[in-house]
Amino acid sequence: GLAGKEGKTWKRFQSYKGEAGLPREVETVRIFVDRKAQTIIFPIHGFAVPFHINTIKNVSKSDEGDFTYLRVNFQTPGQLAGKKEDTPFEDPDATFIRSVTYRSSDQHRFDSISKQITDLKKEVNKREQQKKEMAD
Amino acid sequence: MTTQFDQIYHGLSPEVGKLRIAQGGMAWRGEEANQTVAIPSDEMKWAQWIRVARNYQLRLGLGSKDKKTADRKRETFDGFQRDDHDKLAHLLKQYFSIVLETKEVSVKGWNWGMTDFQGQDLAFLISNKTAFELPLNKVANSNIAGRTEVSLEFPAPADKKPGRGAPDELTEIRFYVPGTHTKEARGSDA
Repeated sequence: GLAGKEGKTWKRFQSYKGEAGLPREVETVRIFVDRKAQTIIFPIHGFAVPFHINTIKNVSKSDEGDFTYLRVNFQTPGQLAGKKEDTPFEDPDATFIRSVTYRSSDQHRFDSISKQITDLKKEVNKREQQKKEMAD
Repeated sequence: MTTQFDQIYHGLSPEVGKLRIAQGGMAWRGEEANQTVAIPSDEMKWAQWIRVARNYQLRLGLGSKDKKTADRKRETFDGFQRDDHDKLAHLLKQYFSIVLETKEVSVKGWNWGMTDFQGQDLAFLISNKTAFELPLNKVANSNIAGRTEVSLEFPAPADKKPGRGAPDELTEIRFYVPGTHTKEARGSDA
């Protein structure tokens, strides 16, 4: 039966209800961490594209010459992520964005963005963990 | 009579300028380089209003009356405020008999959806709304790995160091495409 077979279930999330929810900062056409909405907004060819922190897997950074590269990896099916393999997806057959890479000459700012994303991810994971413990 | 909109950008350029609209057409003039982009009224075919990073964008489809030379060119102007919509819609209708259509964008924050080729763009749609578009003519390189992963690379503009406050440059995006079968358009909106 279903009892005892407690699989992970998909939980819906959404960054903004409508475009009016986008913060003013997107105007700068730079990556912005909106803590309140638990969302990172990326500039993609003129668009301001939000990604909820739940879609983000991790961030990596590398310095090459005058530039810093920031790579953001997203949660997608088909990744050998060990224990994460049972992560449910709402629509596993959809097309997923797996990663985006950005370049900046402002190393300091990309350091800061990287840290903000990582911290937000930790914070959300911790909260999830606490909720789970309370439910047990 | 001429109506002017201030703080308007042309294309993806960081240069701010003014857009003037009158009976004969519209013209944008940059404040720094003083370059002008002029669009005569008879070249305008359609107009769209869409939310972008720099507030709202007016997107104009262009083509000449002569079908032979008709290209799928378009011009975009960013920086409109939400309140500009009605005024702009009215001007386009009055002067050029064009309806300003609203193109809906997704701000759901999801990384899954579907891709759709729209003219010279690859659009990424979430619940059938545009999340972003990638101009395919700017793709420098693309790779397919393991049949399910596609990466698109964009050339970094020049080697010159951009100044402080410069936009962040997308250099690569990777997609995971599990289904090789053709999917029909559908929204995962309940």
